[in-house]
Amino acid sequence: MAFLELNAVTKDFGGLRANDHVSFSLEKGELVGLIGPNGAGKTTLFNCISGLHPITSGRIFFDGEEITTMKAYDVARRGMARTFQVYVASGDLTVEENVMVGCFMHTRSRTKAREKARDILKELKLHTLSESRVKELPVAAQKRVIMATALGTKPKLLLLDEVAAGLNPSEIEEIMTSIRHVHDDLGVTVMLIEHVMELVMKVSARVIVLDYGKLIADGSPEQVSRDRRVIKAYLGERFAAELAPEIQDNGTRMNTDERG
Amino acid sequence: MEAIKNAVDFSDFPRLDLIIAGTLAALFLAFPLFPHSSFAMSTMIQFLMFSIYGMGWNTIGGYGGQVDLGKAQYVGIGAYTTAVMLIRWDIPFWVSMPIGVCFSVIWSFIIGYPLFRLKGHYFAIATIATSLVLKDIFEVWDFVGAARGLGISPIKYQPPDFLRLIFKEDAYYYYVILGFFFLGILYLNWFRKSRLGFQLRCIKDNEDIARSLGINAHWAKIKTYAIATGFVSVVGSFHACYVKNIEPEDTMSLDISILIALMAMLGGAGSLWGPVIGAGILIPLKSYLKEWLGAAAGLVGIDLILYGIIIMVISAFEPRGIWGIVERVRRRRKR
Repeated sequence: MAFLELNAVTKDFGGLRANDHVSFSLEKGELVGLIGPNGAGKTTLFNCISGLHPITSGRIFFDGEEITTMKAYDVARRGMARTFQVYVASGDLTVEENVMVGCFMHTRSRTKAREKARDILKELKLHTLSESRVKELPVAAQKRVIMATALGTKPKLLLLDEVAAGLNPSEIEEIMTSIRHVHDDLGVTVMLIEHVMELVMKVSARVIVLDYGKLIADGSPEQVSRDRRVIKAYLGERFAAELAPEIQDNGTRMNTDERG
Repeated sequence: MEAIKNAVDFSDFPRLDLIIAGTLAALFLAFPLFPHSSFAMSTMIQFLMFSIYGMGWNTIGGYGGQVDLGKAQYVGIGAYTTAVMLIRWDIPFWVSMPIGVCFSVIWSFIIGYPLFRLKGHYFAIATIATSLVLKDIFEVWDFVGAARGLGISPIKYQPPDFLRLIFKEDAYYYYVILGFFFLGILYLNWFRKSRLGFQLRCIKDNEDIARSLGINAHWAKIKTYAIATGFVSVVGSFHACYVKNIEPEDTMSLDISILIALMAMLGGAGSLWGPVIGAGILIPLKSYLKEWLGAAAGLVGIDLILYGIIIMVISAFEPRGIWGIVERVRRRRKR
């Protein structure tokens, strides 16, 4: 059985189908991007996988166990961490204390949690900020605190929801380094939702595309960026052209919606 | 061992705070040695009692952000447990107080489990409701004296009776409650940086994040609510021995619940010193207003008007109360 396996996962909100029979599987050690236009159901899918939303139908397996109906905190304790687009654990706490909230999953001891938090902050090069209050930090630093907090739970699988949104190119470069470090050096399997295409295409070895809740493509960045459906639904001609010049000729211009 | 070390670790406060706190602690310890009126003494005892109520409220209401307006029911459970046990079976305070805490905690689990499915205003209203229902039950329950209440007759005992907490001089009561006050501060100082303390602040800011970090938010709230309950129940038991006449009306009324929450919010919800500051302002104000104006016709409800004004001012200017203002000024100065 795969490390993470989704089997026809469907999620309805009233009459709206946010995820429609989504099936895919992840192996340990992969780094996968999840892309799609706004409203495609990417964040909803994360919410379903991490157990925050009960799914309408389908099954989810993680690390050899069925987690379909499991509570979010149980899923988290089994080694799945996730981040949210804008929120840190608590804006009133300092950076170090935020990361400690994550570390407290494995220990009751304040000293141990603090030591662990310091290690993580050092690894992500955030240790100079550890005494600052999170809500007083710039967005880029907050995003990395979000990641650090999730890492505090010692995850086997990390779901990152738009960690690069709203960042400038050099900040994106920084967070890319952090993601690579988490994946390559710490051996965490990573799945990331991202609208910043450079990041997805550069970092991930595999890309999954959602559109209107349906999985429309799954493959390497090159394959996906040549897929007509993906170009039509999401990437737009211009981006596809940059990535794969040879398909430029016979396409019509589409509106792109890269940033939302 | 680590817990004790953490409880006495105040190192994250500025030195000025610690000097003020230390001076106040010394003054509190020495207070009965100075000449004082019995009115001042009873106000001090009230202040300490309400500080501890406020500390209890602050765990769930301040750090956890769950506005609880039903703390009076646990004052009642504590007070009645101690009074009934003393009057009927001559069980001393130091035995009945922990039993009262057990009853309170059991009751808090029973109502906390369903109540914490509610959020925000709905939760606040539900806590009022359970408190009022319990009060109504006590008003018709003959075993606990119904609406007449219970009276502990001090003539039966030889004061000073340390086991039953029956004293002639208020100074004894003062030192007992001061002891609980210091313990309460130490506990809260540990609590605010404990695992549960951090988790609560995460729950307060965003429950989804809390859950995704492996925190069982519902259970964490129930646990904290039980801790808050314990604080209130201990002082409720003390209240029975101190006042000696307890009725449902003056132990479990909505006024008390609101006063507890209000004090903590005025001083600063979610901060260590908040409830103490709040009680230090409101309790003397309340006592002296009653003393000066209360007798005059038509001014009986003046303290309620005052509460209303305070609520408006807090919510308009600084939701984190007086301590919030202090911190804001400090941070501005640092820059």
